[in-house]
Amino acid sequence: MDMLTSRARHSLGALLAAVVVAAAFTTATAAQAGAANLEGVWKIAVPTNTLKPVSGPVPFTAQGRKQYEENKRLQAKGAYDDYDITLSRCNSAGTPRLMLTPERFKIWQRFGVLTFDFEWNRALRQIDASGLPPKVDFLGQALVPTMTGTSKGHWEGDTLVAETTNFSDRTLLDDLVPHTFDLKVTEHLRLVDPDTLEDRITIEDATYFKQPWDAVITYKRQPAALFAEDVCLDRRDAHQPAFPSR
Amino acid sequence: MRTDFSWRRGLQGLVLVGAAMGALGSGAVSAQVPPQGAPPAPDGQAPAYSQFGPPPPPPLTPTEKFVTELPPPMPGGGPPVPPLAADAPMPTSDPHDLQGTWHHNQKLEFRMQRDMYGVLVPYNMDGAKVLARRVNSLRKGAPYINASATCRPPGQQWQLDLNFPFQIFQSKDWIEFVFEEYHGRWQVILDPEKAPRPAHKNYMGYSVAHWDGNTLVVESSDFRQALWLDVDGTPLSAKGKLIQRIRKVDNADRAPFLEVITTIVDPVYYTRPWSVVRTFGWHPGLTVFNEYNCEEQIGDPSVRADAGLVPEPKD
Repeated sequence: MDMLTSRARHSLGALLAAVVVAAAFTTATAAQAGAANLEGVWKIAVPTNTLKPVSGPVPFTAQGRKQYEENKRLQAKGAYDDYDITLSRCNSAGTPRLMLTPERFKIWQRFGVLTFDFEWNRALRQIDASGLPPKVDFLGQALVPTMTGTSKGHWEGDTLVAETTNFSDRTLLDDLVPHTFDLKVTEHLRLVDPDTLEDRITIEDATYFKQPWDAVITYKRQPAALFAEDVCLDRRDAHQPAFPSR
Repeated sequence: MRTDFSWRRGLQGLVLVGAAMGALGSGAVSAQVPPQGAPPAPDGQAPAYSQFGPPPPPPLTPTEKFVTELPPPMPGGGPPVPPLAADAPMPTSDPHDLQGTWHHNQKLEFRMQRDMYGVLVPYNMDGAKVLARRVNSLRKGAPYINASATCRPPGQQWQLDLNFPFQIFQSKDWIEFVFEEYHGRWQVILDPEKAPRPAHKNYMGYSVAHWDGNTLVVESSDFRQALWLDVDGTPLSAKGKLIQRIRKVDNADRAPFLEVITTIVDPVYYTRPWSVVRTFGWHPGLTVFNEYNCEEQIGDPSVRADAGLVPEPKD
């Protein structure tokens, strides 16, 4: 129960905040020279449920293929909680699947950190391109795998290169493709033109894929807007799609 | 100079001070007004209270007595506020620019018992009974369902009070608060024509603001459901309204903060509006949030959707 865990969390986490903050700015803030401005409201140009490789099929290993086929079988049965807890529980779709949302998202870029704020369920992911040392983590929270992983980025000219690791294995890359804890996602984000954002995604997971493979997603800039308050659990309880697809 | 001369002077001073205090005490004794909280004098004896003490508080009303006799809340916690590094970026000097990363830097109050002036929260008996049943439900081991426990947006007061960071982004038309906890979002509209009232009510209500000098005045209402203003369940009915007065304070001491005075307006539960104040320290180093993903647990179809809590009786 979150109300009760909040109490416990405050008694521990709050006491550590001082040390966390004290360590955060003991070094100079990272230079942001050459950083492009990716802020804005974005929407996928060609909606899709599938993370399509740039060329050829997904290079599954035998183990990866086996799990993929199992996911297809469970999908046909409607046993969503057995393979896709985003659909069954409104669990964060994680990285990179959040980037496949057919709905809009905003990018905020402050203090060298990019915050992606999704229309879907108010979901968040962040890329830390500040160059600052990581927050002091006495509780070991950074050791806990998360749906969106831990994303560290740096700028190469006008391209943000973000590497994400430390994933939970409870998400999918798209609506079917599985991954393991060993997943590493590398993204190259850049403005193709002022109104077009490109995300070239490289997937590495030696357990399920024979070699790294790339997918490219393109987004078009949208007018500034406030997103409606979306509460996925309410939609799910009303028997509406939890993670709307194309 | 010999030290015994100084000792004599010191002793003389002490005697003089003591005599003066004795004169003051004996000359000021009167048997009229007891100090606040002083025990009653024994029968037949005149209490020796100083007339310089404050007047006694009025006796508690039945509602106040009912509320103050509830089990006390858990003691709040809160982090000490460390200084920022010498090269940490500071907020802009524009008082109308609230953007940045902020963090509640006071002790979390599990139950708001007094307003910002130290006066007891002005419950009416309906509000007192709601608080009492929520407090007692927790102690009975059958806490009530609330937004936080079911992974729903908890409303502005609870969301802001938690000691976790949030970012503020703003444009000329609206201001957006993005919170680490509950991956929450609070939208404050500056131009209602650009963001009209939605067709359905939101958990975070509908918030419209204007600038009053350098203070942002936000009125939030139209809540989808009643709110718990704090962990113990200080109530706000769905018809209630919150008025937040937000200003950025920068005393050139490299410790800028936001001050938020929240006025609770809810005739359903209170006899009059009342206000609390919170401060939020500037913390750009907390811009990277920890992931908050309560849906993984709460959304589990194999467990109860109410997280094991019990439904609260309807008023």
